[in-house]
Amino acid sequence: MGLLSGLARGLVRGADRMAEWTSKRGSRTFYKNRGARKTGVLTSSGKFVQVREMVPELVVPRLDAGFKLKPYVSYRAPPGTEEPQTPHKLFTEVVAPRIEKEIKEGTFDPDNLEKYGLERSQEGKIFQLYPKNYVR
Amino acid sequence: MRLTALLAMAARVKVHPDYRYGTSRPWTVGAQRMNPPGKKRRKVFVEPIQPEDWSLFKGDTVEVLAGKDSGKQGKISQVIRARNWVILEGLNTHYRYIGKSGEYRGTYIASESPLLVREVALVDPSDRKPTQVEWRFTEEGERVRVSLRSGRILPKPVVQRRDGVVPEQWKDGPKDTSPDDALEKTYSASLKTFEEEIAEATGVVETRAGRRTFWY
Repeated sequence: MGLLSGLARGLVRGADRMAEWTSKRGSRTFYKNRGARKTGVLTSSGKFVQVREMVPELVVPRLDAGFKLKPYVSYRAPPGTEEPQTPHKLFTEVVAPRIEKEIKEGTFDPDNLEKYGLERSQEGKIFQLYPKNYVR
Repeated sequence: MRLTALLAMAARVKVHPDYRYGTSRPWTVGAQRMNPPGKKRRKVFVEPIQPEDWSLFKGDTVEVLAGKDSGKQGKISQVIRARNWVILEGLNTHYRYIGKSGEYRGTYIASESPLLVREVALVDPSDRKPTQVEWRFTEEGERVRVSLRSGRILPKPVVQRRDGVVPEQWKDGPKDTSPDDALEKTYSASLKTFEEEIAEATGVVETRAGRRTFWY
């Protein structure tokens, strides 16, 4: 089923108007970006200065010594039984034991909840949770 | 519009609420011929059966209770939930010619017709007679189909995979993670984000905070 038989069926002349206009079409001087983001800044003299922080860097674990995971999973593996993590579960596992210990010792301070992990504002943090300013 | 229309046919088919489901899948040419965009047919009423009460699966042996082949037992080859249909292998057939072209009349084949779920009944494996079936829980907590006459559990039929892989007999290749390594629990809950943990582990110290941003 090619373009020609499609045209013969439609019996209408002309190019395919609804096809996407990409950078692969157009003349030699036609430039169109396909979504890649810039990794630096264009100065007033026309020179492009690359900024190291804007270049994506992949952080990969060490794959040689003692790394047991491989690209594929065996068919024999059964579906896992661990439930997805929820905020409630995270609090129960991490914060609740700390607070319980402090209450038992008698040093619980309801005015200083920052030492159990409370963050009253996201300002000053590098990886802010809301609005999320990291890619993952 | 021609080439893009052609490509759009391969994409997922959107079906209107009064779509009449047939024996062909909605994206095939035959089904599109039966349901062209403007066509309105009398609505076919289907008995509402809850998903948890459905007890017929592909590969089950059932007996036909009504129709031309009533009294015969066969294996289910296809289930069409939208119309409560069940198609059995080689039963309830009519004959037609397929592959007709020019003067050649085509091959004469037997094609199965669908049966409603109320016209078939599951067969009890102990006495090989049709029975009514109920969903019950075992002592382990597993939900199984139980025959009401003899109380025997009807196991769900094992469907072979299309690629021929039998998971129990699979031999791991060099790129396969073993089941123990895949199921190992290495997650430890913490309040740090993934990026903060990696920065800590690799020794990256970042004191510059980003520019102030606002959202509304």
